[in-house]
Amino acid sequence: MNREFQFVGMPRPQIEGPDKVTGRAVYTHDLTRPGMLHGAVLRSPHAHARIRQIDLSAARAMPGVAVVVVGTDFPDRRYVNAGPQYADRHAMARGKVRFVGEEVAAVAAETSAQAQAAVSAISIDYEVLPAVLDAEAAQAADAPAIHDKPGLPRNVAQESIADFGGIDAAFAAATHIVEGTFEHGIVAPVCLETNGALAVFDPQTGNMDIWAPTQAPFFVRKEVAYVLDLDPEHVRVRSVAIGGGFGGKSQSPEPIAIAAMLSKLAGRPVRILLNRQEEFLSGKSDHAKKMRVRSAVAADGTIIGRHTEFWVDNGAYTHMGPAYISAVRQRTCNLYRVGAAGFDGKLVHTNKVSGGSYRGMGAPQIIWAIETQMDEIAEKLGRDKLDYRIEVANRAGDQTPQGWNISTCALTECLAEAGRRIGWHEKKNSMPLNRGIGFAAMINPSVGLLYAEGNFACVSIDLKDDGRLRVGTQSADCGTSQNTVLAQFVAEELNLTPDQVDVLHMDTKETPADLGSAASRVTFVSGNAAIKTAKAFRAELTRRLACLWSVPADDIMFADGISSFGTDNARRIDLADAAAQVGTFRVEERYDVDMPRPDPKTGYGDYAATYGFGAQAAEVEVDPTTGHVSVLKVVVVQDIGRVINPLALDGQMHGGVVQGIGMALREEVVFDGGVPINASLITYRAPRIIDTPVIETAYIETDDPSGPYGAKAGGEHAINPTPAAIANAVAQATGKRFRKLPITAADVLCALEEERSLPIKPWIRPYNMEIATARALYPKILFPGLKKLGAAVGRKPRPANGHDYERPSDLEDALVALGRPNRKVKIMAGGTDLQVGLRQGVYAADSVVDISDLSDLKGIMIGDGVIRIGAATTISELTEHEDLLRMHPMLSDGLAKIATRQIRNVATIAGDLAQEKRCWFFRSGAQCYKAGGVSCPCYAVLGDNRHHSVMGAGRCAAPCVADAAPILTALDASVVIADYAGERRVPMTNFYRWSGETVVATNEIITAIEVPRPNVAHTQAFEKHAGWDGDFADASVAVHLAWQEDRVIKARISLGAVAPLPVRAKSAERALAGSWLTDSAVRAAAEMVIAGALPLSDNGYKCNLIVNLTERALRKNRDQRA
Amino acid sequence: MVKPLVGPSIEVNGELRVADVDSTMPLALFLRDVLNLRGTKIGCGNGECGACTVLMDGRAVCSCLIPLGRARGRKIRTIESLGNPKALHPLQAILVEKGAFQCGFCTPGVMMSLLALLESNPVPDEAEVRTALQGNLCRCTGYVKLLEATMTYIWERGHEP
Repeated sequence: MNREFQFVGMPRPQIEGPDKVTGRAVYTHDLTRPGMLHGAVLRSPHAHARIRQIDLSAARAMPGVAVVVVGTDFPDRRYVNAGPQYADRHAMARGKVRFVGEEVAAVAAETSAQAQAAVSAISIDYEVLPAVLDAEAAQAADAPAIHDKPGLPRNVAQESIADFGGIDAAFAAATHIVEGTFEHGIVAPVCLETNGALAVFDPQTGNMDIWAPTQAPFFVRKEVAYVLDLDPEHVRVRSVAIGGGFGGKSQSPEPIAIAAMLSKLAGRPVRILLNRQEEFLSGKSDHAKKMRVRSAVAADGTIIGRHTEFWVDNGAYTHMGPAYISAVRQRTCNLYRVGAAGFDGKLVHTNKVSGGSYRGMGAPQIIWAIETQMDEIAEKLGRDKLDYRIEVANRAGDQTPQGWNISTCALTECLAEAGRRIGWHEKKNSMPLNRGIGFAAMINPSVGLLYAEGNFACVSIDLKDDGRLRVGTQSADCGTSQNTVLAQFVAEELNLTPDQVDVLHMDTKETPADLGSAASRVTFVSGNAAIKTAKAFRAELTRRLACLWSVPADDIMFADGISSFGTDNARRIDLADAAAQVGTFRVEERYDVDMPRPDPKTGYGDYAATYGFGAQAAEVEVDPTTGHVSVLKVVVVQDIGRVINPLALDGQMHGGVVQGIGMALREEVVFDGGVPINASLITYRAPRIIDTPVIETAYIETDDPSGPYGAKAGGEHAINPTPAAIANAVAQATGKRFRKLPITAADVLCALEEERSLPIKPWIRPYNMEIATARALYPKILFPGLKKLGAAVGRKPRPANGHDYERPSDLEDALVALGRPNRKVKIMAGGTDLQVGLRQGVYAADSVVDISDLSDLKGIMIGDGVIRIGAATTISELTEHEDLLRMHPMLSDGLAKIATRQIRNVATIAGDLAQEKRCWFFRSGAQCYKAGGVSCPCYAVLGDNRHHSVMGAGRCAAPCVADAAPILTALDASVVIADYAGERRVPMTNFYRWSGETVVATNEIITAIEVPRPNVAHTQAFEKHAGWDGDFADASVAVHLAWQEDRVIKARISLGAVAPLPVRAKSAERALAGSWLTDSAVRAAAEMVIAGALPLSDNGYKCNLIVNLTERALRKNRDQRA
Repeated sequence: MVKPLVGPSIEVNGELRVADVDSTMPLALFLRDVLNLRGTKIGCGNGECGACTVLMDGRAVCSCLIPLGRARGRKIRTIESLGNPKALHPLQAILVEKGAFQCGFCTPGVMMSLLALLESNPVPDEAEVRTALQGNLCRCTGYVKLLEATMTYIWERGHEP
């Protein structure tokens, strides 16, 4: 297609931009209706259990409660999701629960608090069943059966076995066989707006109106009508702004159907908004999977066969699993030239949250496996890894073993360009230490056939009274600018400016059917429909004007919004006048991806009309001290046909790359016994702005004949090769290969330090013997025993029933409030921990006393010998204090690494010291030692303990993660604590009890921190390692040295986040006294800090980390002295 | 001493607002549900995502972690105090023009964090911008165009004739 474009290829800002940037855009969270009820959902606490009995009587009697529903109140129907043969999920649990977080009951009440209270009052009698959490274990013949699915092996939802081209013969003929096993966990979409819905049922008309953030109104309407047994004609999904999708809003709509049911029963509007924890528990995440990839390679490097065996963790119910299996298969043999391809894939049920279709649908990780193997093949052949890829890349005209016909394809150009832009050939022989460059590529169907029954889109165009055009589409714009792109298409086709075109998305009554925004399909499929509709619009307008003017339609011109007949001024009309004279009207067209479907049994045959390609190069730097991987630069080179809106497309690429960085290095939902324990935005580490590298994008346009104006798809393209490119760069930087995603700093550090043994010497602390013995008894005896005992006699959490709030005017007032009898009173300073803890149930209070602005407790006073810091001084006030920065730079620098600007602006120094433990078992509500007392076990002993203590942990392994604690300890600070009788001073070394609790009594308040002023030559440094600076530390160390000439005369070393309390490394301190701090003295002292540690199963890396950080901090001290 | 149980008066966007509601109610809910200022979004309710960022006495805070009792007697600024769709604040205009956001849910909070930064430090460097935005989670953009737009705004403002 050779033509000049007016708007195609132009950067167009989002149509909705001004509304969004001013906070005027209306999301589901922002909607209210007169008489609206608030819904809340009761979720299963068990991974697998039979529901014996549900008692709703107490909940029904609660104030404000309108209706309560359970699974059996719905018709006995299952979501259709991936097709009737896979339908296995009711709208709410019936008879059995199959994952933690499954919806069991729901309440609608006048206020959100009343709904929550009523949900807590529902009593359910469960018979707990054995659960299976691992897709491999679930296939064992004696594994607990999650469903009864006849005709398939145990817990298998689908098998996908194929052999294209004779895989056995290929392996028999191979010169080299390269193989590897790869695995990854569950990644969550983390839309900033959580799922939810407003449902408005009108009992008079039977109409159900729904506002919900969904990518697919078409399916919401169909599924809600079906599971509630409503006439689809009565169900209308309405238009609303959507706060992110990424696949997380594209499947069966549980909160929506529940809101609809509540509204139907109550006859009133009902709104349900999931909180962040619910979003993690029940949202549609990626699937976990394990992949075994084998490649058969000829001596000349030809890949003559590849076999991929994989198990996909489907979770409890089938949503997008079958499509996911297919998406994974597609990436194994269609990108590079492969002779024969074999698959053996299984979709396996586990008692975990159901997998959805998070961006990329499994492609990023299978591409990581394949691209790792491509590197390894190149290494085996002694070939350059980029040149080899270019040599074996698919080209236009190729047919793949799966029967895909590659039409337009710029893969080789993409690879070469990515190499050029990252500077591969210049850099490869002179890479600095700890740096690496990695490559990866990808293929994406444009657009993959979503459903066997069709892949279609419809678009409408209305001519409105005012002469404006309104484009209607059901493909919901989640922020990707697709509304803007559709307006560009229509404007281009009709020779209008995009400003003359409005777009209404989602509304199922006002806009025609469309499968929705998923699988990168909108630009391609809906875009083709928009062009077709625009042509029809022109034809209809011309037809009407031809009648009006009695002239041949073919002779009417339409340009710049003006219709005209020759130069006749009487027959020249703009759209507003046209609307007045020929009437407003609507045209609607349907576009089908019209092509033969792949063989339903084997999956052989084309999966899309065309395919998009892309290559990436990533450059990383690894910090050998911590294992931290910094992504420095990512180059994205894409063949996406033609670029329609470079601004929007770049945005898709950038977002995909950074999500891919998260997937490669940090993100994973961590489970304990089926409970997601990092279900928060602090513990689940989605990338922050600090993680953003330089990203360079380039497009090689191929002008695809099947695409709208030559465009292909793009939404998922950039995430797909990102983890692979990064992993390959990490491999080059470290010389190590990693077979599990994410590749965490801990993994890297362990690999780098594999050969170095540390003098941990656990025996030097006699109590370690006791602890080691207890830990040995944990799996079989102690854990199950204490769990049972704790459940019977342990302290129970107090339900959060609200609390009073007081803001005293002075310290005396505060102490009076604290001393009131029979009241549980909590002091609140910044409140950033306390309020969250109250909501989580880790604190209980009748009353909260807010001391944040008591002048007695604020301010920094520099005295002659002592600096007195008021307890309620905020972290920001401390970090901004210039005198303090000069005297104790470690205090200012260290505190600047606490949390975020917003938190530092209110959180206080005393609050940091006194914050409650961050253990993810404790914070997730486990009935553990810390929560329930001595009769309860510590969950960290057997659970994922990567963040826990490596030393000094007895009954509780939660570490002290207050950054101020090691710093103040190393500065020999004291804490001033007051009660009604007076003040006492407690040195930091005595401030925490062995278990990490503070010595502050319930009737006391911390009033100040006193830090000695430096009186001799001194140096200091604080080193911390965490997911990002503001995150809670995995390890930190504060080193404070006093000097005489070039010798250390006194040393203070205090360790953070490795023990329940800040630990002074006294033997190292002694060793340093009198030392000249030579390299060997530094290392020797650093290694001493770990003596006596007793790490748990997953946190051995912390021993290396704390030693390395200590070494680094000592060197920094030495550098300061120099 | 007599303590007022309820009825905080808070200055919101220059107007004194009084409401008889629970002092423990988070400021974010007060703004959204009582004052109908729904530009302030709630992404987590626990101070982890920054979507609810507002200014309190000129500093960026997570309004989900400010109990109403504490907001009493203070000045609050929300996204509604900036431009409107027909007359954008120049920083808002540049965020739109540069494609600095996609879904828009984090954007009001990002705007308020940037405003707090620029009012205390009119010419921050990129590292300072990153530090100021560390508490604002965005899942759509990868922060690339957000940084680009912000740095462009700072540069252009510094080079006004």
